Amino acid sequence: MLMIRPRMASGTQEKQYTPSLLSFFIYNPKFGPREGEEEKKILFYHPIEIEKNEKIRNVGLCEAIVQFTRTFCPTKPAKSLHTQKNRQVFHEPEENYWMVMVVRNPMVEKPNKDGKPPTVEYQEDEIIDSVYGSVLKQCYSMYKLFNGTFSRAFDAGGVELLIQKLEKFFYRYLQTLHLQSCDLLDVFGGIAFFPLDKMTYLKIQSFVNRVEESLSLVKYTAFLYNDQLIWSGLEQEDMRILFKYLTTSLFPRHTEPELAGRDSPLRPELTGNLLHYGRFLTGPANLKDPDAKFRFPRIFVNTEDSYEELHLIVYKAMSAAVCFMVNAAVDLSREFCEQLDSLVGPQLTLLASDICEQYNINRRISGPEKEPQFKFIYFNHMNLAEKSTIHMRKTTSVSLTSVHPDLMKILGDINCDFARVDEDEEIIVKAMTDYWVVGKKSDQRELYVILNQKNANLIEVNEEVKRLCATQFNNIFFLD
Amino acid sequence: MAADVHNKGASWEVKNGNLAPVDRLQKDRSDSPTPGLVEGTEPGAGQEGAMFVHAQSFEDLTAEGEPNTNDRSAETGDLSPAVSVEAVARNAQEEVLEEGEEEREGSSEPAREEETKQVRSSNKAKDEDVTSETWRSHRKHLFVLSEAGKPIYTRYGTEEALSSIMGVMMLLMSFLEDKKNIIRSIHADGYRVVFLRKSPLILVGVSRTSCSDRELTPRTSNRQSYDLRRLLAGSEHLTDSLLQLLDRDPGLLLSAVMCLPLADSARDVVSSSLQAAKSKNLVFSILLAGNRLVTLVRKKDQFLHHMDLHLLFNLVGSSSAFRQGEGWTPICLPKFNPAGFFHAHISYLEPASDLCLILVSTDREDFFNLSDCKTRFLERLRKRSAYQALQEALSMPSYPVSQVGIPELRHFVYKSKSSGLYTSPDLPVPYQAVEEHERLIGLYQNLHSCLHHPTRPLRYMYCCRETENLYALVTSGFELYLCFSPLGTKALAVSAVPKLVKWIRKEEDRLFILSPLTY
Repeated sequence: MLMIRPRMASGTQEKQYTPSLLSFFIYNPKFGPREGEEEKKILFYHPIEIEKNEKIRNVGLCEAIVQFTRTFCPTKPAKSLHTQKNRQVFHEPEENYWMVMVVRNPMVEKPNKDGKPPTVEYQEDEIIDSVYGSVLKQCYSMYKLFNGTFSRAFDAGGVELLIQKLEKFFYRYLQTLHLQSCDLLDVFGGIAFFPLDKMTYLKIQSFVNRVEESLSLVKYTAFLYNDQLIWSGLEQEDMRILFKYLTTSLFPRHTEPELAGRDSPLRPELTGNLLHYGRFLTGPANLKDPDAKFRFPRIFVNTEDSYEELHLIVYKAMSAAVCFMVNAAVDLSREFCEQLDSLVGPQLTLLASDICEQYNINRRISGPEKEPQFKFIYFNHMNLAEKSTIHMRKTTSVSLTSVHPDLMKILGDINCDFARVDEDEEIIVKAMTDYWVVGKKSDQRELYVILNQKNANLIEVNEEVKRLCATQFNNIFFLD
Repeated sequence: MAADVHNKGASWEVKNGNLAPVDRLQKDRSDSPTPGLVEGTEPGAGQEGAMFVHAQSFEDLTAEGEPNTNDRSAETGDLSPAVSVEAVARNAQEEVLEEGEEEREGSSEPAREEETKQVRSSNKAKDEDVTSETWRSHRKHLFVLSEAGKPIYTRYGTEEALSSIMGVMMLLMSFLEDKKNIIRSIHADGYRVVFLRKSPLILVGVSRTSCSDRELTPRTSNRQSYDLRRLLAGSEHLTDSLLQLLDRDPGLLLSAVMCLPLADSARDVVSSSLQAAKSKNLVFSILLAGNRLVTLVRKKDQFLHHMDLHLLFNLVGSSSAFRQGEGWTPICLPKFNPAGFFHAHISYLEPASDLCLILVSTDREDFFNLSDCKTRFLERLRKRSAYQALQEALSMPSYPVSQVGIPELRHFVYKSKSSGLYTSPDLPVPYQAVEEHERLIGLYQNLHSCLHHPTRPLRYMYCCRETENLYALVTSGFELYLCFSPLGTKALAVSAVPKLVKWIRKEEDRLFILSPLTY
């Protein structure tokens, strides 16, 4: 499956190709240590059609590179390989299990006269390692969320079970990767938090406590509004990937029925229930349906220590969504779901409208939104909080940014600079397009601002950023 | 005025970017230097044409190795009236091609053996266990191997001990080439490995510093031309010292050369003395003081590439053999012509002094002629009592940054694009230790690579860190890198630029060679 998207440049015949996934494989060198058994190392290989020997050779190359770099630093093997045509990113999530992603460099195809094949020019400096390294790590985290670790699967059912699980998961998951629109936000993999006043926050807190009290099966709860997180009982790392799943996969799949009219055939589940707007996003679509299945997706959390397997119940009323996580050993019955529906449904409907009201009041106070002179991305490594005014929306298919891709790459470059040095830093640059880009790193926080003030000088830009910090982050300390 | 200047700027654009600007009149030089200065009018710009062929960027330098460079030299040959040098060079080139690889290596370095022995014995640092932690922790490694995977050079350790690693390098390289792909680099936490094939050699660099591979690659490739000729004949120390120079000298990074600060009257005397001491086959006369240039006189229409000049600096600086008397050695100036050879008369004006005279000729029998040139030059110099001034300038440190009068400014590097010259004050206290010195150069390298990013170049970059504040900018006329103490503010940095440029304009007679001479 090659995801090539030709884009015709206006006026010329040049074709521009965005970066695309060439191959993706997972191997464990311990599974086929002897010569002639190399194929056994390979646990998953995409695309599947590749000839066996070719697969073995490509895996061999990765092994060789990892081994080679150990001569220079035994503890820090290779992370990526740059070649003229592509980038390979390596990740060893569990001991001896290697994941490799090969991304083709963006390229420009220039047609030649006289029927000669077109010349292809690879743009080798376009791909930022940290972005695709993070995408690869995210692939693993997502797999782990739904399948647990590689080694657990191997212990439970040997190589066969592991291979089966990998194929089942990655076959579909890889199609949802949109490598051309990956950027700095993928590096952060942060969580967007919903800004809220104290009263409403306490209301939500008490709602969560009440539900957990009456439904003792519920082990963890997470509360989201407008695809933004308000409260979570999960560990941060687990919440991070669950949040990613909810906002980029589960919620977008369900927005369509909501947007459809009340009488639309797309939302049959609401016909029987006029008391509240609550419904299950996972599990039974309609409780009244006698054939309804009470099966929920299973997720794995705390894989480092207690290794818990849980049912994931996502329940939504208007813009408010709650995740209830129940021990997977318990069978969830119709009675439990009905109890949950009748308890949570009306309360959540009420709460959702409360939040909405409060949200609108807050927005009115902060004044009418006018197009600001700047766009920014903020990320806090401590609580994974992330905020971006650069991204208009992030859905399953595309993340739309409102700035030029080159500027996003400059942000990526600055981020790499920050990652290299473990000290507070500030970098201000002016691009050839006359945009100013400011990056600030203070303690665990990073802020990136893009200013569109062509004639401003360094001092004015600095003032502008100070003003921004004062209005948007008035209680967050940034080094001057 | 500005538009006027721009037009002038456009007219110099010569087809292959290889020829120096046409002569300009004094009045073209703008009076008040501003960051908007156009190339050719910035402080330090030469008045009567540049001395160097200057590359616009690293890409020019690395532009695909040999065939290309050959083309270029052929082109220049066609453009300029067929000078004898060109012909000789081209003959040499053909000769060499016929002789084949082995011969080429041998023939390039006949007069070097004595020196080599001397160096071999002083190579103790090399006997290092390649599996030890110290070997691993070197900041920059360089390996050179033949296309067959045979080890040729390593910066640390012995070639023999590393043969298996080099074999792997070779395999990685050829594996990807089988797939019609080219390996560029491998990245890991805290270090990177960069691969480069320059037939018939393969270069592999390993760097722990923060400089990007964009830098590392061209730097290695610059070395390449050098390696090919020098190191194969067993003069590893030249490569060693060149590598060290790369870590410490901003000139290589900037593709520029620093001049010895000297009153222009004194420099004029030296230059004209050198100019008068000419000989039929003399192409370049170069007077060096350490690794700073005092003056350079060239044959009309012949331009020296700054990279070649750096190689000469290195050649002179890394061996003491020339101190003892007059040296006569064949040299290759790879940027001038990668396959041709010149013959250089290298001698110090006085055994104890840093002043070194290099006379480059096309004739291999020219030793006595050039020796005579030197005598004539010295006579003239003494007669016009310029020698004293030269000695004085030499004994003094360059200049402290405090002369500029900008508070909190610790150091700067200013490069005039059109003349290919740069100036920089003495290193201040915090950077005098070797480690700190290299760290500062590393910071400049990082700024440089960001500003000159191949697809996302920048105009300005301001970088505020715990140890210093850095400000770098590129205009069409100059490049400037400033290093402030952490107490420096942005406002200060912004105001410092015009102030500094003004100061350099005032001092340019002293800091730069404004009117290079030809025979």
